[in-house]
This record gives sequence, C-alpha cells and structure tokens, in this order.
Amino acid sequence: MEYQVPRKFPTTVVGSYPKLEPAKQALRKIRKKQATPDELRDLFVEAIRGVVEDHLWAGVDIISDGEQTREDMVVYFAERMNGYMPGEWTRIFDNVYFRKPIIYGKVEWPEPLTVEDWKIASSFAEGRPVKGILTGPYTMLEWSFDLYYGDRREAIIDLAKELRKEIEALVNAGAKYIQIDEPALSTRPWKEEADIVKEALKIMLYGLDVKKIVHICFGKIEYILPYILEFPVDQFDLEFKNSNFRLLPYLKEYGYDKELGYGVIDVHTTQIESVDEIVEDIEKIMNLGILSPEKIYIDPDCGLKRLPREIARQKLKNMVEAAKIAREKW
Amino acid sequence: MTVWGMVLGAYPRSRLARYTLRDRERGTLDFSQYTSRLLIIHSEIIGVQKAHGLPIVVDGMVDWHDIFRPFIMRWKNVSVNGLLRYFDNNFFYRIPVFTGEPDPLEPVWLPRIRQFKDLAEPSSLKIVLPGPFTFVNLSQNVSDLSKTELAEAITSILKSEIELVKEENVFIQVDEPLVGDRRLSKEEVEEYLDYWNEIASLSSENSAIAIYFDVPQKEVFDVVLESKFKYISVDVIDSKRRAIELLGKTGLPGHVPVLGIVDARRIHEDKLDEELLTMIKKLSKESQEIVLTTTTWLDLIPYTYALKKTKILSKFVDIVSEKLGLEKRILWR
Ligand SMILES: [Zn+2]
Repeated sequence: MEYQVPRKFPTTVVGSYPKLEPAKQALRKIRKKQATPDELRDLFVEAIRGVVEDHLWAGVDIISDGEQTREDMVVYFAERMNGYMPGEWTRIFDNVYFRKPIIYGKVEWPEPLTVEDWKIASSFAEGRPVKGILTGPYTMLEWSFDLYYGDRREAIIDLAKELRKEIEALVNAGAKYIQIDEPALSTRPWKEEADIVKEALKIMLYGLDVKKIVHICFGKIEYILPYILEFPVDQFDLEFKNSNFRLLPYLKEYGYDKELGYGVIDVHTTQIESVDEIVEDIEKIMNLGILSPEKIYIDPDCGLKRLPREIARQKLKNMVEAAKIAREKW
Repeated sequence: MTVWGMVLGAYPRSRLARYTLRDRERGTLDFSQYTSRLLIIHSEIIGVQKAHGLPIVVDGMVDWHDIFRPFIMRWKNVSVNGLLRYFDNNFFYRIPVFTGEPDPLEPVWLPRIRQFKDLAEPSSLKIVLPGPFTFVNLSQNVSDLSKTELAEAITSILKSEIELVKEENVFIQVDEPLVGDRRLSKEEVEEYLDYWNEIASLSSENSAIAIYFDVPQKEVFDVVLESKFKYISVDVIDSKRRAIELLGKTGLPGHVPVLGIVDARRIHEDKLDEELLTMIKKLSKESQEIVLTTTTWLDLIPYTYALKKTKILSKFVDIVSEKLGLEKRILWR
C-alpha cells in the first residue's frame, strides 16, 4: 500500500530519536563487549518498531528509523568502514569523551550499513516513506583524525565515492528520500569548504532518481547559504526555531528556491511548542513569499535524540497538527 | 638571534587525569587526594616540556574544562549555561552568563604558580588568560552592564591576575582566538586595543597575544600589531596559505613572531617544509627572536599524541636553529 504524502507542507523528521530502552540495553552490551550488534538484532528491531509507532502516532508523513543502532553519527560509520580504526579518548566537553575515529588507510565501504535498519523501519511504516539517512563525507572527515590522506579534499572525495555505494544500496532497497547529514559544514562556512562538499555531493547523488536532501544545523548558516544553493540537491533541511528564524531574511536575499526542510521544533528545549506557535512560525516563511507550500517540509531543527521520548512524541504531534492547519490556510 | 619553543596551552587528560576528575566529581576522592593526584599529572606534563628543552612551560591545565571555566568558577555574578560549539571544533564549552559585575573571590593563577614554580625550574612557567574580546563575545550578558563595562570589568580582573604573579618571572599569554575569525571587521576589535594595552603594559617584555583556529583579515591584524604585546602568536597551519600571505605581507614589525607550526588539532606527524622555512627565515631577519609553538592548545587530541607533538615542536626548534643559524634558547632568564 502506497501512502500519499500530502502535497502541501509534508511533515518529516531529521532522523534521530531518543534511544528507546531496548536500544539502550543493546548499546550498553556492545560497549561492554558482551555481545555483537548482530546478536542483539531483536532488541534493535523492537526499538525501531517503537520509534516508527511514535512517528505514526504523531502522524508524521516521512519518517525515519530513529537511528537506534547509532551511538554516534560519525563513529557508527567509522567503526564499520575499512580504513578506519578506533581512536583514543578525545574530549567533547567537561569530563566527557569519545573515541575519535582515525583514518589509517584508504576508506572502503564494506557492505550496506544502514539498509537493514531502513528495511525494519519500512516494515512497520504502514506504507509511509522512510528516509535513508547517512553522515556526509565532510563531517566524516572533520570529526575524525586523518593519518592516511593528508589532503582534506582527497579524503572527502574518497569518502564520497564509498558512501555513494551506501546510497545506492538504500535506493536499491526502495528508499525514495536520501538525506546526507553535514553538521560540520556550518562550523567552517567558507566558500572553499562548500566547494569541496559540492563536488562530493555530485559524486554521491549523480543520476539517482530520489529526493536528495542535505541537512545542516546550527552555526552561522547564513555565511554558507550563497554557496550551497548550487549544490546538486532538491532540498536543504535547516534549523530555524533555535536561532529564532534568523535565517529567513537571508533566504529571500539569496533567492532561495529549492525545497526547504523547515525546522520549527527546538530540539534543545523540553518545552513543547504549541500548535498555534508552530502555525505562526509557518506563517513567518509564508509571509516571505518565496516558497510555495509544496516546497516546504515541516520538521524539527535537528534529530530529537537528546529529548525524553514523551516530549519528542508530543512535539511531533503538535507539529503534524500545525501542518494540517497550515494546509487549510495556504 | 635566537629561536625557542613553547606549547601554546593546555594538555589533554591522560587516563589518570580523566579518572581523577571523575572520582572528584563523584565525591569518592577527597580534596587532598585530588590535589596530590593533580600534582602528579601536572608534574609529568611539565617534565615532558622540560625534557624537550622548552624554556617556557605550561602546567598542563588539565583541570580546566574550558578556557573560561576556572575563572568564572572563582568569580561572583557569573554562572554557566548550556554547551556551545567552541569555534570549528567538535568540542563544546559552557557559555559564561554574566548576571552582574564579575567579582573575583580568589585568583586562578597565583596558587598554581606557587605550586609549580619549583617543579618547572630551570624553565619558567606561563600563565594563560582568556582575552577580553573573546571572553565578552563568547559569553552571555544578562546584567545591567553594557558590553563595554563588561569588557572593562573583565580586563581589570585579568590585570589583577597578572599583578599577583608579577614577581614570579612568568610568561603571560592572552588568548584571543576569536580575533582570528576572518569575518571580523576592524571596527569590531578596535575598541579592545585599549584593554589589550592595559594588560600588556603590566609586563610588556614577556607578554603575548595568541590568535588561533583561523587567520584574521589584514585590517584586523593591523589592530593587533598596534598593541603593546611584545609577542604575537599566529596559527600558521590551519589556513596555511592565508597565514603565509598575511605574515609575508606585513611581517610583525616591532613584535616577536610566535609561529604556530605544529598542528595541535590533528595527529599526523608534522613536516617543516621549505615554504615554512622560507617564511621563518624571512621573519627572522626582522626580529631578534623567533618562537615556535603549537597551533593551539593540545587538549583537542588524545594525550599520547600531545606528547608526540611536544617532541615534534622541540625537533622543529632544532631544525630551525640549525638550518637558519639561530641560537637555540633553552633558558628564559
Ligand atoms: Zn542536525
């Protein structure tokens, strides 16, 4: 059964969702080396089913697997790709660390890395499309150490070539929406950086008949906006709510005309946005008069992983309600 | 003409350091156990730098969660808020929130200098202070103070930190990473020249301003060149082309160049290529002294690599000394 995604203001998610109990259990066991991910498949299936059920309960149109098997968006891929090795403890903040991965050889995609989770989510999705989501090559490099390439562009292009295989695997499995996450790009918003990403995206997305999305979040996105408009993608998925819609006038200034994943849910606060508030926020972009409702996808600023499940669920539900009202209004 | 080296700032935490901080947070380590463990950790770091012939050493600052935290923890009317990305690093600092005029309850550096001074011998210690420009602009101000008043208040506390250690023969470094932001205009930093000069004039012969993570625009760098800091530290590796262009254009007239040529954010083995050597050679003709350093603090890489980078720094000092015929300085006094 094919689900009809609404023509105007489709609702979606950026990807991650709070880790549900079975996923937490499984990840804990993996961390303690008590079991391998394969042995814990049932726990992850249960977690992904829970996420999909929440998405369906809230009424989200284009959903995700909630990234239940991914403890970290870079480490997950690094641990599974050839050419990477686990790093030593590197601090992220306070007394909290992660094993920053190290590239020590030519990177190689060994086998599908996210397709299994995508399939599981799809099997529970009651026909709703599930986004195929992967961490982009720029972020994969920036948040790793490189002992092999020495040249950033070369490393990013190689990663792009390998990650293209993951995208192809997702598309072959039936994914209609592909999202590449590049949060690191907003930290170095220079043209020369954007140019490398553009080149990488061409490699990754060339000739594929799917909806092509890039998610970038936080940081001063207005600085890279003029450069990324040339990226070969259909949609940018961006954060708006947390930065109080600061970016909106820039969309107009730079003549933004792609589809837009419009972040209306703040993922850094547990305060639940009311339906009215979200409708008002949708009004803000409609008042700009630059995009039609068909080009505006309503979603949260970023992944919901840091929120308590109950809050995440309710935020999504209000978001969906607001989109319904918006469809009547515009 | 001399060349010497120093590490720019803090070291990362060894396993012992991580556990020590964790146990202290959990309350399973009492204060005296905590301080004696920290002493061991810092001694090792000081020892490594001494062993590599660095005349100025940092104490390691492994108990600092970020550049602002040790200060605001000791100041009244400042608290910490959520986490924010620290420049383009995958590292986050806690945003200082000023609710009133900051008022120091105790100094950060004096007790550290007293504790580590003898250990550092015959090298001398360096104190590192977050500069007023970076401090003000990376904080949140919910007090009645204007931005200028806040900058003045912070400057005055930083000055008192220096006054307290003035007799101790320390090297003073004021970190202004935000000045490196290429998007800044001259107008945004100009106002801070007075504050820098107030700080620098307390110890003009042995004070440095450190700019890193990026390379400023020339018009912004010109403001820095007007300052009274004898030493100016620039990150030469992160945007190598822009750094070489900037330093090649203006040099550092009236100042001693401190060149960040050991990449402190990446773990590969650094190479001192011809391009860098040519730049150093050119700068050495205009200055009596050349200082080599790490591009930034070493705390963004794992501990073992920070030790390797210290060794590389020391090797670079040897190479420059040999190839350019500069005398290697191993004692500060
Ligand atoms: Zn995001």
